[in-house]
Formats: sequence, structure tokens, C-alpha cells
Amino acid sequence: MMSETSKFTEDILNAATEKAGNIIGEAEAETQRASDEAKTSISREAENIMRNARADAEAVKRREISEARHKSKLHEEKEKDIVMTEVLDHAKKRVLDVAKDESKYLPYLTTLVENAIRQLGDETLLIHLNKADMTRINRTNLERDVNKGLQKPIKIEWSKEPIEAAGGTIVSSPDGKTRIVNTLDERFDALESKLLVEAGKSLFGQ
Amino acid sequence: MSGMETVQIIVNAEKQAAKIIQDAEATAANIRRKIDSLIQEQRTEMLATAKKEAAALVQQAEEEGRREAESYEKESAVRTRELIARASSKKSATVEKLVGMVMQGEK
Repeated sequence: MMSETSKFTEDILNAATEKAGNIIGEAEAETQRASDEAKTSISREAENIMRNARADAEAVKRREISEARHKSKLHEEKEKDIVMTEVLDHAKKRVLDVAKDESKYLPYLTTLVENAIRQLGDETLLIHLNKADMTRINRTNLERDVNKGLQKPIKIEWSKEPIEAAGGTIVSSPDGKTRIVNTLDERFDALESKLLVEAGKSLFGQ
Repeated sequence: MSGMETVQIIVNAEKQAAKIIQDAEATAANIRRKIDSLIQEQRTEMLATAKKEAAALVQQAEEEGRREAESYEKESAVRTRELIARASSKKSATVEKLVGMVMQGEK
């Protein structure tokens, strides 16, 4: 009887101990699962932070290099522009200086007048010169040379009003309605965009 | 042993068993309670480390970018100097060419 009671109480306590073990085991397993899930989630979050940082780092590096390229390109363009402007100014001066050398200028002026007359196609024309040319040009000789060049007689009238130009001429119909501007300044300005392209090719191989 | 004594022994055993289970439940509750703060602690620590590494990565990239940019600017300055030197040697010929274009056929 005594040993049966003992066995009975032992069974009760064993069952309680087993149940207690299960309760604690279950709590431990549950927290282990929660911990594993949390670790996975946190790792994902951390990886996300690193992924964004890598993208940011790449962008930062690209931006630094891109800014340097842009800055260098601007510097190069500025330096090229200085050379181009210098060349263009020099060329313009050379063209305008042609008027100072009569031996070169007179035949050139004759050609400018002839070309303008051809373009107008009239037989009576009004020629405009600048103040210096009005004084120094021998009009009779110029008329003779022009008629010779055109191989037909043209009636030339001379404007009494000087034009504002470094040289060259404006040839117009007598009423002034039609006119061809062949001044040195105008010829240079009209060609400026082509001259820039040519200068770019010649200087920088563009 | 009397019957009364036997019953008393069993009642005591039952009480002891109930205590064992009660203690286990308290322990389980405690384990569950601790895990939340443990996870929060781990999260704070891991994310702080990640943020620190991320900041270092970006800073390193900034420094690399700056170094590469400086190097590019230096090389570019040399290239530009050479380009301008070559162009300068062609200035006279270019001026002649441009003057020729303006005067072309009318000189």
C-alpha cells in the first residue's frame, strides 16, 4: 500500500515536471523562431541600407567625375574661343586693312563694283563710297576699268553722301530702291558664320 | 499508514505538481518577455552597424570621385594646353585662309 502511494505521487510529480518542461520548451522554441525571423528581417533591412548606400556611392562618384568633365569642357571651350576670336579679329583687321594698300585695294574695289552691277543688272547706277575713297579714288579711271571689265557701257552716277564703312561700295539703282551692299565690313559680317566654321576646322580639326 | 495519511500525501503531491507547472509558466512568460527587448536590441545594433558602414562607403566613394575628378582635370588641362599650342601654331595660316575666303575671286 505504502509503495503504491509513493508510486502514485511520483507519477503526479513526473507528469508535472514533464508538462513544465513542455511549457518552457514551447516558450523557448517560440522565442527562437521569433528571434530567427527577426534576424532575417533585420538582415534584409541592413542589406537594403547597404544597397542604397552602394547606389548613393556610385552616384556621388559619377557626379564628381561628371562635374570635372563639364568644368574641363567649359575651360577648353573658353580657351578655344579666345583663339578663334583672336584669329577672326586678326582676319577682319587684315580685310579692312586692304583699303589702306591702294595697289591691292583699287583692283578689289573695281571687282566689287563690277559684281554689284552684274547682280543689279541695270545700266544706270548710283555708286556709294566712304569719305576717304570719295576723295582719293579717281572716278574716271574706275568707270573706265568697270566698263572694261563688264565689256559694256554703264552709266555711273556717284553719290555725294559718304557711307560709313572701312572700304568697298554700295551700288544702288538711281532711286535707291534696289541696292547691293559690297562694303568690306558687310562682306566680313555676312561670311562670319562660315569663317567661324572654317577657323574651327583649320585650328582644331573640327 | 492510515487512509487519511495516504490522501494527505497525494494532496501534497498535487500541490507540488501545481507549483511546478506554475513556476514553469512564469519562466515561459519571462522568456517571452525578454525576447522582445532582445530583438529590439539586436535590431538597433545591426542597423547602426549597417548605417555606419553605409556612411563610410559613401564617404569613400566621395573621396575616390574627388581624386578621379582632380586627376581628370589635370589631364584635361594638359590636353587643352597642347590643343591650344597646336592651334596657336596654325593661327597665321588660318588668318590667311579666312582673308582669302572674304576676298575670294574679287581681289
